[in-house]
Amino acid sequence: MAARMTTDGTLLLMQWLSPAYPVGAFAYSHGLEGAVEAGMVTTGATLSDWLADLLSHGGARSDAQLLACAYRAETQEELAEIDSTARAFCPSAERLRETDLQGAAFCQTTAGIWGDDAGALTYPVAVGHAARRHDIPLELTLQMYLQAFTSNLIAAGQRLLSLGQLEAQQRLAALAPEICETARAALAGDLDDLHGATFAADIASMRHETQYSRIFRS
Amino acid sequence: MDQQRGRPRGRKQINSLARITAQDAQDAQPAEEQPRAVGRASVSTKCRADGCVAIDQLHQAGALKLLFPRGRPPVEAVMVNTAGGITGGDRFTLDASAGPNSQLTLTTQAAERAYRAQPGQTGRVQTTLTVAEGARLTWVPQETILFQNCDFDRRLRVDLGSDARLLLAEPVVFGRAAMGERLTSARFQDRIDIYRGDRRIYHDAIRVRGDLAAALAGAATGGGLSAPSGAMATLVLAAPDAEATLDWIRAALPSGGTAIGGASLLAPDLLHLRLLAVDSFVLRQSLLPLLDRLTDGGLPRCWRL
Repeated sequence: MAARMTTDGTLLLMQWLSPAYPVGAFAYSHGLEGAVEAGMVTTGATLSDWLADLLSHGGARSDAQLLACAYRAETQEELAEIDSTARAFCPSAERLRETDLQGAAFCQTTAGIWGDDAGALTYPVAVGHAARRHDIPLELTLQMYLQAFTSNLIAAGQRLLSLGQLEAQQRLAALAPEICETARAALAGDLDDLHGATFAADIASMRHETQYSRIFRS
Repeated sequence: MDQQRGRPRGRKQINSLARITAQDAQDAQPAEEQPRAVGRASVSTKCRADGCVAIDQLHQAGALKLLFPRGRPPVEAVMVNTAGGITGGDRFTLDASAGPNSQLTLTTQAAERAYRAQPGQTGRVQTTLTVAEGARLTWVPQETILFQNCDFDRRLRVDLGSDARLLLAEPVVFGRAAMGERLTSARFQDRIDIYRGDRRIYHDAIRVRGDLAAALAGAATGGGLSAPSGAMATLVLAAPDAEATLDWIRAALPSGGTAIGGASLLAPDLLHLRLLAVDSFVLRQSLLPLLDRLTDGGLPRCWRL
């Protein structure tokens, strides 16, 4: 309770969504490694296209919607329903593990610091629930979550493609309008607005399961 | 040319019949509004005391008919949309139920066509499938073809009993590439929910609005092929032996060029597969061998034509 009264929401979001928070985000590529292997993503430019698709029609968009719904959930039952929807919506075993394990690690660490024991939720649901408990504005939470999501995949792209540090950060900065737009769409939507159309990304993550040489867990 | 204006044929004869059953046909309608087709059908199967599977109950009304081809293993139902397609405002409802230890296969007589709709007029199809303990349901409609300016919303819900088996495949074609069609304006929503008991084990929700051709040209949407993707299929196998099919299914999937597919086991009894292809012909080429083997050669004949 003391922490809640004295900790600024922006600082909390910075901490939760920083690569140092031990959820292991760096280990997941959300199908990007499979996409590089399949020739779907070959350059920095196609990486930008890939990420823009994830923000408008893919995993980033659906994560944002789930986060917003979890934030607004009024009861444990509602929260559990949103979490089970998040699990049922995963297109592949690796994408399910990605959200399951990161969410469980987030819940465990957050409970260890602030004492909110939420159980083991999927990652966006866990972040949405925590943001609500700490009264952090939803739109800011969505923007920061999507920024961290995109930044993590840009970093994965640097390991998978010949993409320099400067170009990587330029590409991340250029996606800011898409990040803000997706945050706004999630803010306006509800669980019925959970949708996707990133079929190639689904296939990439499925194919990644049997990829011979791999550095990421998804 | 006809298709630009709505359904190509068979529409006039059907309208009078379909309108009688249209509950909402009396609503105030703008002058431009297209006629509505309404169809409703339900079918259930049972396993009789002698072990034979037979139709238990059957109802049909309006523009949705069920045919049961002779000489096919029981029970195979072929859906016929007598309105010849779906346009704005149409309502189709199907309930199909495989009773304990029975088998039911459902398909369509032809590819379903989602034609141009007037603005704000959505065509809707709602399907509910129930598969009881020990039963087997195979849902293998032929392709759904989306046309320019279509507005189509589809919902499918499946309820599975313990150890029930479901094979579901939904091929969708985004405009007829061979005819040079490009979907620059369309609305399509497709939702699938599968429950085992009280628990939702699978949820898929596709939504694309506006310039579908541009949306599907994206790297993560329809990318990775030698040409833009023009067709996509989703396949779900919910069955106690799903895990055993994963290896051969993966080996049979195309890996690029004109088609690419992926399969994953979401749970030991739940397999999910997606396929992307440059057009509907290539999609069918990839899908057919999978369906053949998953149905033990019992795939409805219309899939052969």
